[in-house]
Formats: sequence, structure tokens, C-alpha cells
Amino acid sequence: MAMLNDAVREQAAQFLQELPHPVRIAMFTQEIECEFCRETHQLVEEIAGLSGQISLEVYDFVADKEKADEWGVDKIPAIAIVGADDFGVRFYGIPSGYEFTSLLYAIRAASTQETDLSEAGHQFLSELSKPVHLQVFVTPTCPYCPQSVVLAHQLAIASPLVRADMVEATEFPHLSIKYQVMGVPRTVINETGHVEGAAPEPMILDKIAEALAGAEE
Amino acid sequence: MDIQPLIVTPVKEHARVPLYDLVIIGGGPAGMTAAIYAGRAALKTLLLLGATPGGQMSNTEMVENFPGFPEGVGGANLAQRMQQQAGRFGAEMLVDTATAVDFSARPFTIRTNSQAYLAKAVIVATGAVPRMLGVPGEGEFFGRGVSTCATCDGFFYRGKKVVVVGGGDSAIDEGIVLTKFADQVTIVHRRDELRATKIYQQRAFANPKIDFAWNSVVEEVLGNEVVTGVRVRNVKTGKPSVIDTDGVFVYIGMVPKTDIFRGQLEMDEWGFIVSDEHRRTNVSGVFVAGDVQDYLYQQVVVAAGSGAIAAMEAEKYLGEYPLSEIETEKQKSEPPGVCEE
Repeated sequence: MAMLNDAVREQAAQFLQELPHPVRIAMFTQEIECEFCRETHQLVEEIAGLSGQISLEVYDFVADKEKADEWGVDKIPAIAIVGADDFGVRFYGIPSGYEFTSLLYAIRAASTQETDLSEAGHQFLSELSKPVHLQVFVTPTCPYCPQSVVLAHQLAIASPLVRADMVEATEFPHLSIKYQVMGVPRTVINETGHVEGAAPEPMILDKIAEALAGAEE
Repeated sequence: MDIQPLIVTPVKEHARVPLYDLVIIGGGPAGMTAAIYAGRAALKTLLLLGATPGGQMSNTEMVENFPGFPEGVGGANLAQRMQQQAGRFGAEMLVDTATAVDFSARPFTIRTNSQAYLAKAVIVATGAVPRMLGVPGEGEFFGRGVSTCATCDGFFYRGKKVVVVGGGDSAIDEGIVLTKFADQVTIVHRRDELRATKIYQQRAFANPKIDFAWNSVVEEVLGNEVVTGVRVRNVKTGKPSVIDTDGVFVYIGMVPKTDIFRGQLEMDEWGFIVSDEHRRTNVSGVFVAGDVQDYLYQQVVVAAGSGAIAAMEAEKYLGEYPLSEIETEKQKSEPPGVCEE
């Protein structure tokens, strides 16, 4: 059975029409011990079928370990959205529920390389000198979460120093415990910093600056 | 596996500030219903959905009292259906939030994160956000035990104890939702009886995982790294006590989202926008619908109803006061004056 019903497929196709540049979806999966790998695989297959500009590559997390290392993939199911470059846009866990929207936005932004970031945001990113890793923890039933995921992915697309992951908290409970996730969205910045809730762009940038300054001390 | 996409209208690049017959600010049931009516009235309509299309409806697990859904309907699902219906009748929709408005002259100006729009008429349907307790510890532990969204965060309380603060429909309904995850749900309520609809009350009283702290108010959220308890006071006896808990879910009512309208639209002492029975505000051409003007009912069906009224009144208004093309052209050639908040 298809994961996307007709109405949803039509909306998604409309959203992804006229992608100016090709986008690769690289998916990492495994046959066993991965609850949502099969569904995630099916979902990206259906998405790839919506636009001639989207291509899909599927890798086995174990057999293609070299590839996983190359893309920095350390858990499954994983999806890397790759445009003209690997901008560091990742989804860990299935982007279902509200996160389906984040997936569509990531594909479009990777193709257009256009973001909604402010002037100040671009200025901030141009002055970055150190790598930034954003992990946005979500649940599929959280209507506020895509806002944080889309923002994090846009920061990654706009800056070669930023990479951004959506992490579906219920599929990676050990990470939820490690990062003390008790509410979503929660954005973890470089292991040390964090932001609670769907914070607007200026607040995320402040927290990134704080986390980078804190790491220097 | 549910898939819940937004209906996403690609943001168009506009050389000039685009003019609409009607701009609806807010994408909850009021705004979406207004968009359905406006679309059918052939008004050139823009619906600004805000960051979370569906509004509060989207984080309601199950809506059981919206007519036409005898088995109930998921809040997110209902939001998606309303959005599809609005789209079917031609309303343009954007996932964007109004950040400033100028209602001092027609056409009105609405500025969002990405650009400005002009409107011959406006419906304000920005809704409301959860009221917080305002006690020590609440802000500090937000996201680390303090939450206002059971459907978002319930998962993190599997096998744990949680406190729900409040006694209305939201508090009791969400308390019941939380029993799917938590072992124990304690409802802290300042009175000795619930305000919630009887059917919720019956379910809560019958649920073995739910207990009650009556006549009690939360005075402090306690914790170290995460929440460990709440300090409550019995309002009858004055006696303080501590309830051990891993989470605190706050459902004590709503605060209308009216910041950007301050000084332009008349509000009551609680910040709700004042309107007449035709949902007309003090500014001719600006209408209001949904929870942002409703301190009494705050129901999906009531919000939808007021959205329909506002849209029908806006249509009537536009018929009576069409903006002349000359005025429109003049306004469009000038940069919109916007009062930044």
C-alpha cells in the first residue's frame, strides 16, 4: 500500500514542481533491527517518483559502511538530502507526521539553495569560523517541530560550516536520554548548547554564538 | 504511519506589494473557515497560516465534538481537511506569520517575516496561546519537564509520574491522553470540582491512573537538572505540600495573541479583541474571529462559526466600500508605512 494518499501525493508533487537543480536522496537502511527502515525506504521511493529532478540511492548501513562514514551517518534509518553539494542536511528516523513537511522543504531548499534567512542571519553565518552541528529532536505529532527543523536545515544549506539533523526522538531513545530530551522541539548545538521550543532565527543564532563561545573557555 | 503535510503554496516573488481583497491572519479553524467562505465569494484571498497551520487544533489528539465526525477526528487531520477545503475554493495560503500591521489607512498593510501585503479588508484570527502559571521554576524547566503539549511530549513520560494543572476541557482531555504514557497523572485544580465537560469528567474519574489534588494551586516547580516535583498550597487550609513528579503539563486557559494589534484594535482588559455581533472591530474593514475574540467558549466549532460570520461580513463590506483603483495605485507605489512592534 502506498504511504502517500492521492491528495497528499498531489500536494507534494505541486510543492516539488519546477525544482531548478537535481537533488539526491541518499538513504541508509538495514533489513533487521530497524523498526522504521522499511517505511522510510518506501516513503523516499514515493517522493523520488514525484520529480524528475530527484534521484534516490539506497545503501545498506553495514555493507556500505564506507559510504555511511563518508556521509557521516551513524544511525538508521537515515536520509541525506544532497544538492549541488552535500550541505549536511540529514533526517534520522522517519520523517512522518508533521515532519513530512520538513522533508519537502529540505528537498526544495537543497535544489534552489534559497532560504528564508534574514540579512542578519547570512551575516552571522559568513562570520562563522568553527563547525556547528545542530540536532533537532522531534516527535511526529508535534506541530511546532517542523519550524525548528526547517530553520536548522536552512542554516546548513546557507553555510558550509553548519550541518543539521532531524532526530526522531521516539526512535532513538538512548539519544533522548543522553541529551535530556523531555520536550520537543529541542535543538542541541555542538553537544553542549541547547534551545527549547520552536525558537525564532535570532534566538537560535544567539544560542549558537553562546555555544561556540562557551567551547572556547 | 500518518503523513501530515502542510498545504504549501510556494512563495511567489512579488515586484510590488501585492493587493488582496481580503487577508486573513491566522490559520486555525476560524481563519480556515473564513478562507473557505471568502474563496466561495470569489474574493482574492490570502490566508497567513502562521508557523503551525491548524493552530491549537493541531495539537489536540482527538476532536470529538465537531459535527459530521461521529467517531471523532484527529485534530491534525481536521486541520488538514479544512486547509484542503480552503485551497479548493482558491484562497492562497502561506506558512508565514504576520509581524506587524498598519490599519490606519486603507488598503491595510500586513507585514510578515518575508514581505508585506496590502488588503482591502482584514480578518484577524490569530488565536490564543497557553497561559502559563508564572511561578518560580516554570520558565527554568520549560522543555525539561514543563510542557503545554501532551501530544508532542507525552512519549517522554512513559512509566513516569506527571502533574496536570487545570480543571477545564483541555486539562482533563490531555490528562487522559497522558495516561497512555505515564503511570500516574495527578490533576491539580484550584477548586473542588471540575469545569470540564461532563463526558471528560466521567472518563477521568473512571481512569485508575488519574488522581486529583483538589483546592490546590501550584506555587513552585521544583527540580535540579529536570523537574522533580511541584510545591502546592491548599487554598482552603493554606497548607503547603510537595507532589513528586517528573513532568508538569499546564492547561489553565489561554492568552489571546494580540501583540501586533496593540494601539490599533480595541481590546478588553484581558487582551481579547472587542467586536460586535457582526465580528466588526473598531476599525472599519477589519474583522475578527476565533479565540482571539472569544474568552468564553474557545471551541473549534465556535471558532469556525465566527470565521464564517467574519468572512460574510467582509464580503458585504467590500461590496459597500470597494477601494477605488486610484487610491489603490497610489498606495501601491509608496512603500508601506508599517508600525514595527
